[in-house]
Amino acid sequence: MVDFMQFAINGILVGGLYALVGVSIVLVFKATQVVSLAHGQLLAFGALFFWIFLDQLNFPVWVALLGTISLAALMGFITERFTIRPLIGESLFTAFLMTFSVFMFLDGFFQLYLSGQSRAYSPFLPEGTFNLSGVIISKGLLSSFTIAMLIFAALFAFFKFTRTGLQMRATSENHILAQSAGIGVKKVFTLIWIISSAVVAIGGIACANVMDIHYPLPYIGIKGLIVAMFGGLESIGGALLAGILLGLIENLSSGYLDGPLGGGVKDAAAYVILLLILIVKPYGLFGLKKIERI
Amino acid sequence: MLNIENVEVIYSDVILVLKGVSLNVPAGKIISLLGANGAGKTTTLKAISGLLHTELGQVTDGSITFDGKPIHKLGPEEIVRKGIVQVLEGRPTFEQLTTEENLLVGASSLKDKSNIKSDLDRIYGYFPRLKELRKRISGYLSGGEKQMQVIGRALMAHPQLMLLDEPSLGLSPLMVDQIFEIIETINVNEKTSMLLVEQNAMVALSISHHGFVMENGRIVMEDTSVSLMQNEDIKEFYLGLSSGGARKNYRDVKHYRRRKRWLA
Repeated sequence: MVDFMQFAINGILVGGLYALVGVSIVLVFKATQVVSLAHGQLLAFGALFFWIFLDQLNFPVWVALLGTISLAALMGFITERFTIRPLIGESLFTAFLMTFSVFMFLDGFFQLYLSGQSRAYSPFLPEGTFNLSGVIISKGLLSSFTIAMLIFAALFAFFKFTRTGLQMRATSENHILAQSAGIGVKKVFTLIWIISSAVVAIGGIACANVMDIHYPLPYIGIKGLIVAMFGGLESIGGALLAGILLGLIENLSSGYLDGPLGGGVKDAAAYVILLLILIVKPYGLFGLKKIERI
Repeated sequence: MLNIENVEVIYSDVILVLKGVSLNVPAGKIISLLGANGAGKTTTLKAISGLLHTELGQVTDGSITFDGKPIHKLGPEEIVRKGIVQVLEGRPTFEQLTTEENLLVGASSLKDKSNIKSDLDRIYGYFPRLKELRKRISGYLSGGEKQMQVIGRALMAHPQLMLLDEPSLGLSPLMVDQIFEIIETINVNEKTSMLLVEQNAMVALSISHHGFVMENGRIVMEDTSVSLMQNEDIKEFYLGLSSGGARKNYRDVKHYRRRKRWLA
């Protein structure tokens, strides 16, 4: 039982981070209908920027964080302006391929910079663990989970209560109608890329804090994609739940099966999930139901 | 207030839809735009509201001016900011949003947010039914309720000119009367000019001051609504009236000739 609780709690905590990555993809999809692969690199570069600020330039944590968020937002802005915006009106598949080429393009720079090495942050979150009736919880993981949940709360509030959030929801539903209601749709696209890049950069920092900055970091973006599809590409709440579920499944399966199978179950489980979703629920758990009156 | 001079619209660089349309909407008036399907009425509205750009349409000749300033190069959201709001055909709403959220989206073009509360009350004044539906997801509203919501959403932007595309489409006669009554009230209370595209010529002419008839991408007739209603051709083609139910000799009518005269 303690084993189970241990796996489950670790799964939930890691799942919170996946959810954060997933929601950034959901945000972009909601507004622009483009599934972005580029977010894997935006995540990796966010993590890298933070490392440069924190460990190379020795800035205090909050300066490094602000710097990272601004740089990530700038990257999102540039990506939208120069790769996605020229494709408005073209097929969505073209845009999807474009995000893939952005991923590959940035991957070159990322791997070049790392040159096969691994970088770790000097500790900036609470360290060590505490023991909750036999279950060992890492303080670092718990704090990044908390940050992730705060960001989710902020996103919910933003979309529910602010004017810009409402305009974004309207835009995500019908671009032409949004334009005719006086919403600057292109402005909304840009803004959503900026927000989403900032969110995924924070996710990147949190992930890198757990797994260090090394070559597979951008591929967390694929996990984000799984989360986004699992939750239903249009639902923020869905991304939250799906992220946590994915974390749970990964940790439970690797906890129980890694021994007998000799490791590596974690990643396999994620892709098995993705396959199952695509077969059983192609629109995900909370994919938008089209309201049709009969 | 709105002046359209000799406008030509081409879709996808090849399809010539408007072949030199000229019309004008004076301040505070309701203007009807009548015509058969495919005459170019909706295209005219989209040319004004700027939505043409999103459909690969282009104003290739002529000019559209609003209060003396050309607007046919502007994007749709800028045109809304100038005070022209189009109520689209088929009353599309933001289906996942509630009625109140839909109305709030309509206020997107306003810089000043302080009056939004009173604006909402103003809309609920015109459409008490919408107040009951405030928290309802719009996808589940009935056709008439959606039409109210869509007009309400347009009103939130404080338009000087509303472009209404077939507000009566698919509504029961009772609901049509109700909607048009409200349109007339809005015109009187808010001094909003209206350009009204309708198939239901009778209702449209009964509330409008002036009417234009379009055919094949051209304006073929224009007059005050009262004289249009008296016009023999209009009576026959749009109002479905013939002289007192008398037996009709189709050779005498020769309506194809009259249509030709219009096209000349």
